Amino acid sequence: MSGSPQGKDASAKMTLLQVDRLTKHFGGLAAVQDVSFHVDTREIVSLIGPNGAGKTTIFNLISGVYRPNSGDIRFGGESIAGLRPFGICRKGVGRTFQIMQPFPKMTVLENVVTSALFGRVPKISMKEAADEAADLCRMVGLGDKLGESPKNLTIPDQKRIEIARALAVHPKLLLLDEVMSGLTPTETGEAIKLVLKLREFGTTILLIEHVMKVVMGISDRVIVLHHGEKISEGPPSRVVDDPKVIEAYLGKQADGEGDTTC
Amino acid sequence: MGSSIRWKTTLPLAILCACLLLFPKLVGSYFLHMAVSAILAMILASSWDILARTGQVSVGQAGLFGIGAYSSALLYQKYALPPVLGMLASALIATVVSIFLGYLTLRLRGIYFSITTIAFAEALTVIWLMTPDVTGGAMGVSTPPLFGGDREKAYYLILAILAAVVAVVRLIEQSRLNFAFTAIRENEDVANVLGINPTKYKVLAFMISAFFTGFAGGFYSHYNTYIIPYEVFNLGISIACLVMPIFGGLYTIAGPIIGTVLIKAIEEYLRVTFSYGHQIAYGLILVLVVLFMPEGLLGLWRGKILPLLRSRPGR
Repeated sequence: MSGSPQGKDASAKMTLLQVDRLTKHFGGLAAVQDVSFHVDTREIVSLIGPNGAGKTTIFNLISGVYRPNSGDIRFGGESIAGLRPFGICRKGVGRTFQIMQPFPKMTVLENVVTSALFGRVPKISMKEAADEAADLCRMVGLGDKLGESPKNLTIPDQKRIEIARALAVHPKLLLLDEVMSGLTPTETGEAIKLVLKLREFGTTILLIEHVMKVVMGISDRVIVLHHGEKISEGPPSRVVDDPKVIEAYLGKQADGEGDTTC
Repeated sequence: MGSSIRWKTTLPLAILCACLLLFPKLVGSYFLHMAVSAILAMILASSWDILARTGQVSVGQAGLFGIGAYSSALLYQKYALPPVLGMLASALIATVVSIFLGYLTLRLRGIYFSITTIAFAEALTVIWLMTPDVTGGAMGVSTPPLFGGDREKAYYLILAILAAVVAVVRLIEQSRLNFAFTAIRENEDVANVLGINPTKYKVLAFMISAFFTGFAGGFYSHYNTYIIPYEVFNLGISIACLVMPIFGGLYTIAGPIIGTVLIKAIEEYLRVTFSYGHQIAYGLILVLVVLFMPEGLLGLWRGKILPLLRSRPGR
């Protein structure tokens, strides 16, 4: 379909996630329409597009929160479309939520312990889960807040819980839903470092992001969605020059000829 | 420091256990009967609370209780199964029923699950009345008094069951189940995405809850010597199961027990002073607690009273 990246080491790359002609309707609205793309192992791919483009819906389809109306999702060569979320999680897909959803009555540490206990295959002991969760909390910068209630934490810290919780399942594929919007430039810098470090450890990352600095800085490839359809795909530098992308974000240039797009 | 804290909790607990064990020697038959019925209610309340930990509000515990009561009474009547074995059979039968009911209904959430459980208990009443040949119908089933009417033995048996419930709840609290139950209660969708199978753990909680509720039912039928469908499947039992933990404090070991003691005391007092008064009291307590102290008596104690006590001697 659309130009597959033909790098020198393309043969060494393995497709981890393959999304084929995915479609999801909500009533009469096509939230995702015939979208296909793939993500290779250890790749960082960004999913961008204006509000309502269907980015989070795609995340919900991959993680099993929604079932697709048609199309297939293959993870590591195996179809996961239609599996329930906990099954997909245990196959190695971790995700964060755009709207932070920590368990409010648990402490920060307990939040992360929960996913370490249940998201891992094979299961690990309570002690191992507690140790690992504490390490992860320190890694994302929550080391001094283990015993706190998530309710008392700032937005960036709540995002850190989301990330730690997603990492605790040892994901092969990590879905990050706008984890960097609303962060200060310093915090964004730290988050970028974290993402790059995760990739070094072998994690593949698919992220939804609005912060262009992040998208341009770390993505190997960018996929652009608009009204539920994929309109462009490629390296970041090429995508930003794509007239279709510019049109989606800014609208078509009004050039006389009765073109009334605003 | 650690050992002093341990002493602080184990000493009162040891005294409490000793009091409970010596209780039958100290009081007369009336208070012993009161204690048995209170402990029975504590078992029901604590069992209800186990399922509530997963966020599911069952209003059909009477269904499981009635199944338990009838199982052991009918097994005794038809096969002369010894009462204690009958109670065990009751527990197992109620558990099996909960598995079917659970897989059918626990995919529903919140109010929908609650409504289904009400329907379940009410439907059982109707089924029982329609099949008098098997179930005894409206005439009920009677059994000889438990242990030949020895209330002291009955007391120790029901106390042992309560101890088992408390032990199981304690085990749950210290195991990974606690994380699964709490996560599902707080946000089922997120729990699911983090690898927790919500239906599985909700059914498991329901099974544990049903086991003890069924056992309590079996005990009740032998202790009471006579059961009828209107009584053991009564909505009142289901309501009592949830009022007591809500009053005492949800998702705790002590909450359902303390709630039961107080409600039973109020109920007994009102029963003597004006009839049906306890039903009004149930309603009032439920409304007041939900509005003004959502964490129950234990929450009030931890949040308001304990800090007051602590601040006085210090500074």
